[in-house]
Amino acid sequence: MVSQKSAQDSPNRSPDKLESRSEAHEVKAATWAGRKRQSKSSWKPSADWIAPVTVGIVAIILWDLGVRISGVEPYLLPGPGLVLTTLVQEFPSLFPSLLITLKITVAAFLAAVTSGLLIAILFTQSKWIERSFFPYAVILQTTPIVAIAPLIIIWLQNNTFLALVVCAWIVAFFPIVSNTTLGLNSADHSLRNLFQLYGASRWQTLLYLRLPSALPYFLGGLRISGGLALIGAVVAEFVAGTGGKRSGIAYQILMSSYNLQIPRMFAALLLTTLLGVGIFVGMTVLSDRLLSKWHESAIKREN
Amino acid sequence: MSCPLLSLQNVSKVYANGTVALEGVNLTLHPGEFVSLVGPSGCGKSTVLRLVAGLGEVSRGSLDWHNREQERQLAFVFQDAALMPWASVLDNVHLPLKLKGKRLRPSRANLQEAINLVDLQGFEQSYPRELSGGMKMRVSIARALVTKPTFMLMDEPFGALDEMTRGRLNDDVLNLWAQKHWTVLFVTHNIYEAVYLSTRVVVMAARPGRIVDDIPINQPHPRTDEFRTSSDFNHYCREVLTALSHSETGSPA
Repeated sequence: MVSQKSAQDSPNRSPDKLESRSEAHEVKAATWAGRKRQSKSSWKPSADWIAPVTVGIVAIILWDLGVRISGVEPYLLPGPGLVLTTLVQEFPSLFPSLLITLKITVAAFLAAVTSGLLIAILFTQSKWIERSFFPYAVILQTTPIVAIAPLIIIWLQNNTFLALVVCAWIVAFFPIVSNTTLGLNSADHSLRNLFQLYGASRWQTLLYLRLPSALPYFLGGLRISGGLALIGAVVAEFVAGTGGKRSGIAYQILMSSYNLQIPRMFAALLLTTLLGVGIFVGMTVLSDRLLSKWHESAIKREN
Repeated sequence: MSCPLLSLQNVSKVYANGTVALEGVNLTLHPGEFVSLVGPSGCGKSTVLRLVAGLGEVSRGSLDWHNREQERQLAFVFQDAALMPWASVLDNVHLPLKLKGKRLRPSRANLQEAINLVDLQGFEQSYPRELSGGMKMRVSIARALVTKPTFMLMDEPFGALDEMTRGRLNDDVLNLWAQKHWTVLFVTHNIYEAVYLSTRVVVMAARPGRIVDDIPINQPHPRTDEFRTSSDFNHYCREVLTALSHSETGSPA
């Protein structure tokens, strides 16, 4: 409509319009090319993963050579081959323990995500709530979990699983709270004014503006929190284990070290590490998926 | 002239930290006018716009609408396009209706009309980051269009754009203004833009923010590049420039 009208009003404007269209198409073509390039690069071997894999292989070879040449006893430092064979041998006894740890981690993580998100939303509803409660969230975070884990395990002595989940939750929930609070408060000022102008309710502003704005921050918190939930679970299992309570993979690590089954200890450690890496990779993939369309962090650029 | 749409009488605005943003501002707007506010940064031109929009309270004086109905028919275009980066062009344009509880599907025709008006057909599913600065501004204007406003408040909408794009969007806004019978209150620091667009240019000065001159641009619309290069145009620009420089030296124009 505008272009028709303006063409009548001032004929000299139509070439400008064409220019604007072609400019626009160029922009679009460029992004398509970008997407194509992106999907290609994920299949082709790239320096992104060749370099770290090489470093890993070299380190394992050095470790192996070091153990062979020095002739160090396996109960002090086992070679990578021995760790791997032990892992295969002991897998039937280690894997169920790993699953217990995974359960604790997942339960604590889910609790941390839900409670963290809800607390963050509560914080942003009123400055007073945030001022009153935020220091206590910090205190909970800075108290060493090793110091309070025995207490929690004693309080919840009838339910070791729950006690361990609580410990892991305490470690994991803070990054979610602080990141999401920051995200909810960093919604664009002009957009906030716009919502106000169109008479948006508090609920609408939260749903359509604050929560989407907070998503990248929330996902950043998720990545940290996933790893922390595992660390919290492992630490709590250690504390519980010294008190004689059987639980997940950390209990196996503890027992193996007591019995000087060092290769078995390494094997259990390897499993724990793999689980941690798995959680991190999962969160990163989730984050990239959710942000791929719009957030700077998930967009690959050439320059 | 017809009865005024809106009048500001002796309006002052003092912020909580004690900054006097505006002092004794008198301004009357009539329906169908295209009024530009020009002035140095810090002269409170954006503050006037925000007060009119209801994004803040008047400290002293009064801001009166002739008809309360008209107050609800206003739309605001921000300096930065203020688009939601996580939403497609279509969803961004849908926002004002969504906030009024109208779903996407039934309002689709209305949204498409707005998108066509700013010449963005084919980009409905694009995300803001895929668009150029000028196109983002067009999306922002389309979003303002969907509520069928009669009064447009524009806060330096084209300040960050290159000269070519700015010129193009100026013409588009003028066309929409004529076509939709809008009243426009337009903030800019570009004198040439103000003279080219407006039926009236209001010159403001800083510390404290106040109006120092009100210059009618008695030239017919639609305006073309001929006007941009005419001696009349130069004359008006000169007049605005003089008012601005007088305000800086402190003597009233």
